[in-house]
Amino acid sequence: MTKTFAELKFPGRLIAVEGLDGSGKSTQIYLLKRWLELQELKVFFSEWNSSDLVKAATSKGKKRELLSPTTFSIIHATDFADRYERQLVPLLRAGYIVLCDRYIFTAFARDVVRGCPPEWVRGIYDFAALPDLTFFFKADLDVSLRRILDGRPQLKYFEAGMDLRLSADPYESFRIFQGRILEQYLAMSTEFNFLVIDANQPIEAQQSVVRELIASRIDLSAFSVENSHARLRAPARVAKPMAADG
Amino acid sequence: MDKRSKPSARRSNNGRIVVPERTARRFYGHGLPNVDLDQLAGRLIVVEGADGSGRSTQIAMLTRWLEGSGHATAQVGLKRSTLVSEELDQAKKGNILSRCTLSLFYATDFADQLENSILPALKAGFIVLADRYIYTLMARDLVRGMDPKWLENLYSIALVPDAVFYLRVSPEILVQRNFAKDFGLDYWESGMDLGLSRDMFDSFLKYQALMASQFERLQAPYGFSIIDGDRSLEEINLEMQQKTEQVLSRKRQAEVHRAGRTAP
Repeated sequence: MTKTFAELKFPGRLIAVEGLDGSGKSTQIYLLKRWLELQELKVFFSEWNSSDLVKAATSKGKKRELLSPTTFSIIHATDFADRYERQLVPLLRAGYIVLCDRYIFTAFARDVVRGCPPEWVRGIYDFAALPDLTFFFKADLDVSLRRILDGRPQLKYFEAGMDLRLSADPYESFRIFQGRILEQYLAMSTEFNFLVIDANQPIEAQQSVVRELIASRIDLSAFSVENSHARLRAPARVAKPMAADG
Repeated sequence: MDKRSKPSARRSNNGRIVVPERTARRFYGHGLPNVDLDQLAGRLIVVEGADGSGRSTQIAMLTRWLEGSGHATAQVGLKRSTLVSEELDQAKKGNILSRCTLSLFYATDFADQLENSILPALKAGFIVLADRYIYTLMARDLVRGMDPKWLENLYSIALVPDAVFYLRVSPEILVQRNFAKDFGLDYWESGMDLGLSRDMFDSFLKYQALMASQFERLQAPYGFSIIDGDRSLEEINLEMQQKTEQVLSRKRQAEVHRAGRTAP
């Protein structure tokens, strides 16, 4: 799909963050979520690869190293579809601001680096609308690598791209893999209107840029919990209780 | 068990074991990364048809006949992958997945088996008998209103089989066979999720008719060989044996080649 949720006339708005592991995007989206919540807005947060149902299969596949580039790609699409159909779309219809830690661009970048044809991957995610805003946290490769490698020295097999046989050394493999993903992200930055944030800056500096950009592009007052209660109260009184059987 | 293999094999081959010739193979579209198609020496034969159409009986008979003729066989089917088959079962029981998710879940299962069962067996020179393939998955999704283009792209990873036998059985006979098997109808095989009718019997008939019409639609572009499944087991199997023989002794038919190239 080539339309955003706003263009599709959804009352809600979807904001996505993308970036390499260690780019600091999860910290930024957490702070963003807190900012919106403290203003008493209707906010929902969703994370890549987090659907309960699909996660069991994905983690089994990862643990036992059962995944090929193709199954890796489709199983993540399954996870995304489950969250998309059961949570994101209904919440966006109900006028929520939905925050996504990674969206379809993660698949576009990663799966293509793993060798899946780009048109095939994009075709699979064709059911999904585009985010209204996509922040791309662009850190120097070295900075991202250091953040990950300092904090969590044990790299996981797929995370390090070991399935690609880039190097027998997990750290070297991770470096090459992340470098290629970064190339993919940068290549689609213009096409998908990424708002590029300099992720080498201090956390506070990045967050203030993010907040300013959102405030200038989205009328946040429309998403307040208070407003929606007021709006819902009137028709709720008129509506009849649901009959047990159509 | 009284399913004797038919003498047709001996008659036509004079006891000599036919060594299948290596033939050109291809995927429906994008295919899978890192696969050398020239290495796939075996044959892929798909049997499609509704529940109760006699697929598994026919595959068992075909296996027996093939083994008798000196061919090694491997059987694959849907929902048998190590990766997601358990999770798929759970999901179906709870009936909690929306259509796109379920569709992708099945595609994961298919891709896993394609890579880990079908391709290795073909590489080893086996005759692979698939109890359903992408066509059932596509037909189910098409009945549920999924975009044909989207499905075509998703399953463009699939290998083009050497033959696709579609067992066509009239819905009335299907119902009877399902009752004879386990005295009940399956929720999904009756398409109960579609809300066609609250009466399960009614829903089964309607759903199977919808499935049949989707199979008709896939028939030409994917080159199905339609087998009249209303006949006796032996008659059906004899026809399948004859067609399989052609697959084994001849080079791949030109029409099968052309068929896959123009998906619906």
